[in-house]
Amino acid sequence: MNDITKDNSLLDHAAVQDIVLQALETINDERDADDKLVVSPETRLFGADAELDSLALVSVIVDVEEAVSTASGQAISLTDDRAMSQEVSPFTDVESLTAYILSLPELA
Amino acid sequence: MSDAASIYEGKLTLITGSRRGIGRMLAEHVLGNGGRVAGFARGESTIDHPDYVHLQVDVADPASVQSGFAELKKVADAVHIVVNNAAVLTSQYSMIMPPAAAHAMVNTNLLGAFMVSREAAKWMRRSKWGRIVNISSMAVGLEPIGDSMYAATKAGLTTMGNVMAKELAPLNITVNALGVSAIATDMLAQLPPDKIGEVVAGLPLARYAEPDDLFNVFDFFASERSSYITAQTVYLGGVN
Repeated sequence: MNDITKDNSLLDHAAVQDIVLQALETINDERDADDKLVVSPETRLFGADAELDSLALVSVIVDVEEAVSTASGQAISLTDDRAMSQEVSPFTDVESLTAYILSLPELA
Repeated sequence: MSDAASIYEGKLTLITGSRRGIGRMLAEHVLGNGGRVAGFARGESTIDHPDYVHLQVDVADPASVQSGFAELKKVADAVHIVVNNAAVLTSQYSMIMPPAAAHAMVNTNLLGAFMVSREAAKWMRRSKWGRIVNISSMAVGLEPIGDSMYAATKAGLTTMGNVMAKELAPLNITVNALGVSAIATDMLAQLPPDKIGEVVAGLPLARYAEPDDLFNVFDFFASERSSYITAQTVYLGGVN
């Protein structure tokens, strides 16, 4: 499914981080006012001190996959063996996920 | 407006294996009640209707499923109801079952339903509403000789659907299964008539299923009122 016109020129660090932050804002849209996530590059996504439950993390992953794939024209997967075998989980926080996405060879 | 029309009007139903058999019956049922239908099948369309869109997809191939959804998203804003109907059947004693036939049943009947449900759920997630109906079989309960792999894939389909029902419940997506008994289709015609006749005679309700028997349960699962019904399998004919 690697089709469409490839244009990764706009997918720099800021653009990818915006995609991740927007996915978190989408989660916030569905939360009550007193249950909102604090959305920042340091927001913890996964692990003991994560701010997301498992379904929310899945939603973030799906949204980010779709947005990055659309923006880059390259279908990406954030949950393949490559991601799971990283020494430090790409899903630790917003910054680690951003860095992982930018490291994907599909986006090189 | 008929009861069924109130279920399907304004909604898109995706049906796999829509070219013939149960898939085609359900597609025509939905279309006849004012719904729109998208069909996934390997071959060309056999349905000519203005509210039907056909996509040549091999559900056994995950890349083909993903491409199919990408194409469907170009012509549809949402998918509301999914029917995992596509299936293949080779009935044979295990000791002489060709491995390729066994693989094909797993890939189409089980992996195919998984991939279609997976991609559909990601889409349904946005509207927080969805109905997934897996087409199961009396073979799960009857465990007939020759159907080791087929019955196993259909049993697996039930288990898969029940787990997905838990995962997708917070998204207001239900997952249920319709266990079909013997009904006149090309698939049933592959089997010896005397063997099928014996099976039907042994059913508590000893007759072949009619299309309306399927529509009755399908309408029930698909309806708005069934929002509190998930992880359930309804068998036709008294099979359990």
